[in-house]
Amino acid sequence: MDSAEIEFFAENEEVTIVPNFSKDKLFLIRGDVGPFNASMPVTVPVWLAVSLRQQQRCRIIPPPWMDVEKLTEKKEEETSTDIFTQMPCEYYMEVAQLLLNCASDDIPYAHKIRTLIKDIWDARMSKLRSSIQTFLTSDATHAKVERITI
Amino acid sequence: MEDEEDNIFSGSDDEEAMTAGEVLQKLEEAWMNEALSPELLMNKSDIIDCMMEQINEMENNIQRVKTNDLKIYIHKMELERIRYLLTSYLRIRIKKIEKYATAIMMEDGKRDPDDAKLTDSELQFAREREKNLLELFQNLVLQHMPPNMQSLEKDKICSKPNLDEYVFFRVNQDVEGVLVEEETVDNREEVIDLKKGEQHIMRYKIIRPLAETGAVSLI
Repeated sequence: MDSAEIEFFAENEEVTIVPNFSKDKLFLIRGDVGPFNASMPVTVPVWLAVSLRQQQRCRIIPPPWMDVEKLTEKKEEETSTDIFTQMPCEYYMEVAQLLLNCASDDIPYAHKIRTLIKDIWDARMSKLRSSIQTFLTSDATHAKVERITI
Repeated sequence: MEDEEDNIFSGSDDEEAMTAGEVLQKLEEAWMNEALSPELLMNKSDIIDCMMEQINEMENNIQRVKTNDLKIYIHKMELERIRYLLTSYLRIRIKKIEKYATAIMMEDGKRDPDDAKLTDSELQFAREREKNLLELFQNLVLQHMPPNMQSLEKDKICSKPNLDEYVFFRVNQDVEGVLVEEETVDNREEVIDLKKGEQHIMRYKIIRPLAETGAVSLI
């Protein structure tokens, strides 16, 4: 799968927004969204949040894990062990990228968060590379890969 | 308009009633499996038809509304997303059919026409593709060869999917006693149990039947 396709899946994740308009409930094919009340938080899929934000129709509330303190902790945890740790969200990298690109004003310390996410990603990638290397050079026919995200 | 959009409908006759959202989820899963498996999987024409119906219905609804409301904009955007999903899924299948046309048709010939992997239009495409390819070989090279070398055994020359490819997958249902290797280095069978929620990396051939039934999904 290429990154655009993974991003497509990531856009199905949910995020909370604060709209600045009011609308009745919407009956989308995937499921119901809304109702929207101005300045009342509501949960919507990421694709909708991004598009509304681009039209200046809402403010995005970053998911709880998108926080400098929590991510720093996570990074410590990730770099201190050899195994993969549990990620807060299956598509953490993509969701972070999407939200940071369109709504960096809504997210406190966006810059730091971007760096932290990248660091975690790099740490995981290097683990993945080295473990696959060991897997290939050994005679093993299967391996369990817990907690790996796409 | 809302009532029509929200209705719950049934899929094909032998299936339980599913909501549109569930059908969409199934389609997403099918897309992901298809994109990641080395061979062509079973066709999901019931899901596709179901989704097409939904899209058409929704489009009619949208057309009936004249105002250029935010609501319509959001509905249109969702439709675009679903259409992308559908076309991308079908395109992946076409690519595989192009590559393995002969192999897939031979495989389909061995099974019950009801469980064929190809849909009717896909089969037509595969036949055409094979015919054109053989014609090309004939015109380009074979007719200039000595007569005793003009025959072509298409089952020997066709490309086949590599089932030994390693794939990542997630387990959806517990499966016990999966035979990973008949003979390991120390002459023992290697059998493992798959538990729900686990993720593994393994050769595609081993989990092939599980991927068809949906007990595992490729990631």
